[in-house]
Amino acid sequence: MKNYGSVQLKEDVLDRGLCIGCGACISLCPYLRTHRGRTAMLFPCTQESGRCYAFCPKAGVDLDAVSGFIHGRPYGESGVGPHLSVHASRAGDRAPGSVFQSGGTVSALVAFMLERGIIDAAILTGRTGLLPEPRIVTDPGEVASCATSKYAAAPTLSALQEARDAGFRKIGLVGTPCQILASAQIRMHAESEGLPDPIAMTIGLFCTWALDFRKLESILKERTDIAAIDKIDIPPPPAEVMEIYGKGGTLTVPLGEIRTAIPAACAYCTDMTAEFADVSVGMLEGTPGMNTLIVRTSRGDALVRDAAAGGFLKTEPCPAGAIQELEGAAEQKRKRATAKASEDGLMNPAGGERRPHIRLAAETQARILS
Amino acid sequence: MNYLKCRKPGEEFLLMGNDAIARGALEAGVSVAAGYPGTPSSEIVENLAKIAGDMEMYVEWSVNEKVAMEVAAAASFAGLRSLCTMKQNGVNVASDFLLHLGISGVRGGMVVIPCDDPGALSSINEGESRHFARLLELPLIEPGDFQEALEMTRWAFDLSEELRSVVMLRSVTRLSHASGNVRIGPLPDLKRRARFVYDGSLIDPLTGPVITMPVAIRHKGQQEKIKRAEAIFENSPFNTYEGPEQPELLIITSSACTLYSREAVHELGLRDRVGILKLGTTWPLPKRLLKKHLSTTGRILFVEEVLPFLEENIKAAAADMMGEIGLREFHGKVDGTLPGSGELNPDLVIEAIAKLTGTVYHAVPEEYARKGQILSFTTAPGRDLTFCPGCPHRASFWDIHNVLELDGRQGFVCGDIGCYTMAILPCGFSTLKTSHSMGSGSGLASGFGQLGRFGMDQPVLSVSGDSTFFHAVIPAMVNAAHHKSDIILVLLDNAGTAMTGFQSHPGLAVNAQGDPVPAVDIEAICRALGAHVETSDPFDVEGTEKKFLELIEGGGGARVMILRQTCALSPERKGKKRYEVRVDEEKCLGDSCGCDRICTRIFRCPALVWDKEKRKARIDEVLCAGCGVCASVCRNNAIVKEEVAR
Ligand SMILES: Cc1cc2nc3c(=O)[nH]c(=O)nc-3n(C[C@H](O)[C@H](O)[C@H](O)COP(=O)(O)OP(=O)(O)OC[C@H]3O[C@@H](n4cnc5c(N)ncnc54)[C@H](O)[C@@H]3O)c2cc1C
Ligand code: SF4
Ligand code: SF4
Repeated sequence: MKNYGSVQLKEDVLDRGLCIGCGACISLCPYLRTHRGRTAMLFPCTQESGRCYAFCPKAGVDLDAVSGFIHGRPYGESGVGPHLSVHASRAGDRAPGSVFQSGGTVSALVAFMLERGIIDAAILTGRTGLLPEPRIVTDPGEVASCATSKYAAAPTLSALQEARDAGFRKIGLVGTPCQILASAQIRMHAESEGLPDPIAMTIGLFCTWALDFRKLESILKERTDIAAIDKIDIPPPPAEVMEIYGKGGTLTVPLGEIRTAIPAACAYCTDMTAEFADVSVGMLEGTPGMNTLIVRTSRGDALVRDAAAGGFLKTEPCPAGAIQELEGAAEQKRKRATAKASEDGLMNPAGGERRPHIRLAAETQARILS
Repeated sequence: MNYLKCRKPGEEFLLMGNDAIARGALEAGVSVAAGYPGTPSSEIVENLAKIAGDMEMYVEWSVNEKVAMEVAAAASFAGLRSLCTMKQNGVNVASDFLLHLGISGVRGGMVVIPCDDPGALSSINEGESRHFARLLELPLIEPGDFQEALEMTRWAFDLSEELRSVVMLRSVTRLSHASGNVRIGPLPDLKRRARFVYDGSLIDPLTGPVITMPVAIRHKGQQEKIKRAEAIFENSPFNTYEGPEQPELLIITSSACTLYSREAVHELGLRDRVGILKLGTTWPLPKRLLKKHLSTTGRILFVEEVLPFLEENIKAAAADMMGEIGLREFHGKVDGTLPGSGELNPDLVIEAIAKLTGTVYHAVPEEYARKGQILSFTTAPGRDLTFCPGCPHRASFWDIHNVLELDGRQGFVCGDIGCYTMAILPCGFSTLKTSHSMGSGSGLASGFGQLGRFGMDQPVLSVSGDSTFFHAVIPAMVNAAHHKSDIILVLLDNAGTAMTGFQSHPGLAVNAQGDPVPAVDIEAICRALGAHVETSDPFDVEGTEKKFLELIEGGGGARVMILRQTCALSPERKGKKRYEVRVDEEKCLGDSCGCDRICTRIFRCPALVWDKEKRKARIDEVLCAGCGVCASVCRNNAIVKEEVAR
């Protein structure tokens, strides 16, 4: 498969407005940088092939190949993707307490991995005000400082490269599905170069969409003191609002307005449950304070078992209705995105003039759309 | 013996045109000189400033050309002789005052000396100052060689006093900056006393108030002065003719083109066929003299720079004479015999004369010319225009460029004239997107900054040098601040009028004569406008970037970023390195690094070179000015800087 350079990355992703700002292309070279949620290319680089293009989850992604690499399975077989088990979960009593987004499963697993040395550094996403910021965390006690969701898309992966440069070799990553996809491509690239896999564990977050930081900021900054925000939540339907908890009370903004800040890239995103992660975590609809936890790989399975045994995690069987609903929603997202990418000429474009946004074998596409 | 102070009349010196002008002014007893620096005019005031103390003169670099002319005029109103210099476009700046000065008249002899720059060798325009003489009805004279530069300057003061009109003496680059032998005259012994007399009658130009009213009467008086000037010019020894009595072709020329014309006629061996009428007095035209010469020939070629000033005016005069002299055939810029823009040279004049006279001439054998051209393309290395090693502007524009890219809203920079104009080129990372007259970048920015209401969300920046700030940016910034224009003025404060040779300006604590003066605080002025002001050292790339981003994101009307760092060529910095900089060959991965040579391909300081053999970057120690900025450009930290102990 042919790879390209940053000039093509700019044409295919930045200039088409398809960048999600994940940070996978950042910290690799002097040309690509991230600032307030946007990825910028300072000067053109003449390299014909670069890691930036290879890592980017929005440039010529071959989903069949990634799925084959991570799970040894074809892409798009089921709604939530390959998995071993699904649980309802929350942080256990021995995990450091904090305000979590829902059950605190993510923070608990990360703290546990650091404590046990399963990973030597965690790539998390903290924030300053509303601005999400990548963090390299090595102290289990610091994990909670990154808890709760920042709904603005974050350049989390820029810290992954920094952690590699700093010599960390067992890195744990928490990220949205696009970030987990990029990390899968980073691992594929490492293998193709004969380098060791830098990533010891990936925890994916469920995601329907993220928000453009700058647009979100301009929506919120007139209405509340951004610096004083404690937590943002999107309560389950039929609420149709975003709730912003701050020192001065709770601000409620209609989702209709918030959705104007969704980046174009999310409309082409096929993944709702971070299919290429070791474990994926989302909310458990209808049960506040609980997570849905999908275990996908054997090392993910071992992690969940050990964390539960160690008192860091509490798991219960996930209600069948919730799994079914999740399957349906994930399938819908994949279908919508696949159809849109084909319609807009971004899926395997014919004629070779346009480089693809997503690559999918014809039969995979047919399976998704059926 | 310094030629300026020499008291031995008849002594010869090799002088630049500007030196000769300065000496001529001294011989005329000039007491006050003012100007604004601008190539090719600067040396006149510079020279006078050097000896101002010895000569009991007052010399200043004024804040701009208009003020310079006002300072000089004040001396004239008080009975002293004065002069004022500027480059071509400076006359535009001063022209409002000059229009009124033409009507009010002067008392002590006052000479305005614009130096034009045909071919825009050191300019961003090819302005023609001669048209102002006609437009504003002022006498205009143009020296044709170095000796005349001295003599005509000396005479210009007498002429000014005879007419009680300001006189314009126009020079060009090839006269101001070329050199020739000049014989000096005596220096006067003067008792200089200044007094402004104003208690005479309202309409008495010599004792009353100096005003333009009543306009009808005064304007008529001004036109009478022009008539008197014409009468004087008819017999001026500075209008000369050389050539046969009845030339086949008559060249009419002035200024440096006189030299080109003489050389061309000589080269072609046409001295007995082609005549040269060289005019030293070019407005008003000496019509009787012209009639005499136009009668001797059927064909006329005008050789002049830049616009067809003589050509159009003499053709108009010839139309009036047609009854007596008959039809004439005119050649020059209008019919394309000579190029309509750019600088002339002997070759172009030779070509024109050869064409008109049917002479065959090759300046160089064709084969030789062809080979020369090939060689110059194939063997001479390509050299871009660029900033000097260690130039603060390279660092400043690096900061600005990166900040605008990071911001990502397609922000841009409006500029004007200064070394920083080169930021339109890759050496300034192509950051500058407009470039016009002094200060206009900030005026344009003030306008752009109002377009947010029409959906323009691009950040608007302007850049200005420190000298330019005082010259013309202050009114633009007052406008921007008052109207809450959403802009950032970036003040590239390199502590001097660097481009023209470190002349003083109001921000410095020393004046043109080298005397201590109070420095005007740029920062305080900006704060007084109510602008948010940040100051940074552009060599601190990270710190500057941070401040810049905050300023851009902060929004809110006119803001100012002062990037303060002394020019690399300034006497304070020259030869003094702040850092010893080297490339760590272990760390520089060269071709195999993913950096695609950002240091030598993009940043491109002339002292940072690509070692073709090692295929790594290298510092040229001789060129390196030790600013250390490149160390922050390499992400691999392969460029190492070590502070030089002082
Ligand atoms: C942009 C976004 C959209 C989401 N959409 C959905 C959804 O539609 N449905 C659903 O069920 N769940 C969604 N989630 C996941 C959900 O909000 C919780 O993150 C998840 O349930 C885990 O909860 P927790 O209590 O275990 O997390 P916590 O223990 O509070 O930990 C949260 C973790 O999320 C990471 N994080 C926070 N913000 C970001 C970000 N912007 N990018 C990358 N990592 C981040 C932090 O590093 C932290 O480790 C979304 C999350 C994000 C960031
Ligand atoms: S999506 Fe990620 S990898 Fe792709 S261009 Fe944007 S920031 Fe870079
Ligand atoms: S919807 Fe997809 S592209 Fe958008 S933030 Fe979520 S995972 Fe990334």
